[in-house]
Amino acid sequence: MVSKKVMVTNKTGLHARPASNLVTFCKKYNSKISLSNGEKTVSAASIIHVLTLGVKQGTQLEVIAEGEDEATAVEEIVAFIENLDE
Amino acid sequence: MMKTYSVAKAASKGIVMGKAFLVEPLDLTADSRSIKDSEKEMEWLKFQSAVKEAVDALRILAKDSDIFAAHLDVAEDTVLHDSVELKINSENKNAQLALEETVAEIVTMFESLDDEYLRERAADIKDVGKRIMCGLKGIKTNPFEGVTEDVIVVAEDLAPSDTANMDFRYIKGFITEAGGVTSHVAIMARSLEIPAFVGVSDFRKNVTENDYIILDAVGKEILVNPDEETKATYRKKAEAYRAIKAELETMNNLPATTTDGRTVELFANVGSIVDVDNAVARGAEGIGLFRSEFLYMENTKFPTEQEQFDAYKKAVETMKHPVIIRTLDIGGDKALSYYQFDAEENPFLGWRAIRISLDLKDVFKTQLKAILRASAYGDVRIMYPMIISVDEFLAANEILKECKEELRRDNIPFNDSIQTGIMIETPAAVMCAEDLAKVVDFFSIGTNDLTQYVLAVDRGNQKIARLYNSFHPAVLRAIRTVIQAGHKYDKMVGMCGEFASDEKAVPILLGMGLNEFSMTASEIAATRYQIRHLSYERCQALAEEICKKSTIAEVREILENMEKANSVAVE
Repeated sequence: MVSKKVMVTNKTGLHARPASNLVTFCKKYNSKISLSNGEKTVSAASIIHVLTLGVKQGTQLEVIAEGEDEATAVEEIVAFIENLDE
Repeated sequence: MMKTYSVAKAASKGIVMGKAFLVEPLDLTADSRSIKDSEKEMEWLKFQSAVKEAVDALRILAKDSDIFAAHLDVAEDTVLHDSVELKINSENKNAQLALEETVAEIVTMFESLDDEYLRERAADIKDVGKRIMCGLKGIKTNPFEGVTEDVIVVAEDLAPSDTANMDFRYIKGFITEAGGVTSHVAIMARSLEIPAFVGVSDFRKNVTENDYIILDAVGKEILVNPDEETKATYRKKAEAYRAIKAELETMNNLPATTTDGRTVELFANVGSIVDVDNAVARGAEGIGLFRSEFLYMENTKFPTEQEQFDAYKKAVETMKHPVIIRTLDIGGDKALSYYQFDAEENPFLGWRAIRISLDLKDVFKTQLKAILRASAYGDVRIMYPMIISVDEFLAANEILKECKEELRRDNIPFNDSIQTGIMIETPAAVMCAEDLAKVVDFFSIGTNDLTQYVLAVDRGNQKIARLYNSFHPAVLRAIRTVIQAGHKYDKMVGMCGEFASDEKAVPILLGMGLNEFSMTASEIAATRYQIRHLSYERCQALAEEICKKSTIAEVREILENMEKANSVAVE
């Protein structure tokens, strides 16, 4: 298992489109991807779950991957979150 | 026989008529029967095929709608699918029941969240659930198919999936029993510019399929089965309403330019975020006075930097034009529930506005930082209230400088050259206007307080109410002094008191050279119209003449004569 923390800096946080884009992005890995806001850990494969994390600008998020491509997955997903711009 | 129903509030304005089109509520209650183990696979397949049907339809709708793009995500979501599968396989529930329970659980989860945006998403999930349920029950999802004459839709409630099915060549208006003016259906009606009433409880029992309806969302009435004469009257009313709306709309895009080419700015005064939306809709070219007090007064503690930042950012992103934020203006007649103010002999001459901010430095810094952070998102300006001296302005800006340094240290973006100006409300500020003009970026004259302080008349005291008059020569000359001082140092001078939209005051202020008129949003259209019919040159002469007069009566007389002359000129 590999995990890494990342600060969400885009304006809307993980609302609407950014959340949707993140879920689609996470689907390309074979590893099981989870996201945690410190209180709750959810599967990144579900838009419903990701939305219920209530991630806003400034939220600290932990990306957790478990599986064959876990190391690449975490690095790339963290970079993806850092580059959200909506 | 004709029947008239009056409605308190229109969700979307306009006057339309047509045959009643009743949307019968779909029976979407799930079948409650348990299933045998042998049926499990069949139920799961039924669910998958209903999902596929929903996804196919949504994929087309999602192409040009963010709402349906979100619906598509939900319809494809693994949480939804996994939960339904689990209920079918481990709890022997049929697909309809499994779906109904799953949707209810997810909706509860969203509704319990402390986030307005997410609570609204619960409606999306219900709507997707409804769509899949229709597939499972074999119900056609478009009740509006085959509508080929003008109709007024009468429904219990309408969802985005309903409006997506509507042909607006024929569907002229909505009446729903559910929802408030801020509900989904109301927002949709406004964005589609379809006249609508929402939240008209129990209305469906008043109409049947063959009834004819006039929906007057201007006069706030619903007429059922009007006679021909009434129909003709309302057709004329509808025509007149469209004409006025069209004229005001074309005016909204025109600058406030006089007949001889002087252009001034028309801004709005706002006291909430909703006001900002309204200001944009009413053609405001900026916010001349953002009363930040509401963030403090509608709170149980001093608002945090983040809370304030969210509000300021929202305002500037909505407005997309200058937003002048007045820093906290409490004391006087405005108190806070969570802060104990000492009793004062003369609260209006006491501890208020900038005086409080300079004393409660932490509270002030929280606000300044929030404003600075918002300045990274658009043209935000800072305005200090109740200034009586250059020292106060410099002290406030010194604290602003500290805030900037702290933000810079934390790598938080802001506009380093953010403009800072002051409200001119005190006689002291009028007397020192030239000194102040050298150091500030702009002036905004607050006529309500300025009148009170210049005339030494308490504006809340009924006994002396007749003495409170902004047309008093002292007030008019004070305004002129301030405008001249500002212009001497090339500074913009605005006004954010009620005087700025006073029909009689506008020509004087225009003539004195006021650059920006800030008022309640609903006054903007009328003021724009007035200014577009005035001559700057004539207003200058008028202002000149008026400032020579020594009594209110003489000022009045000139204004009345001008009005007579103008009414002739306009015709």
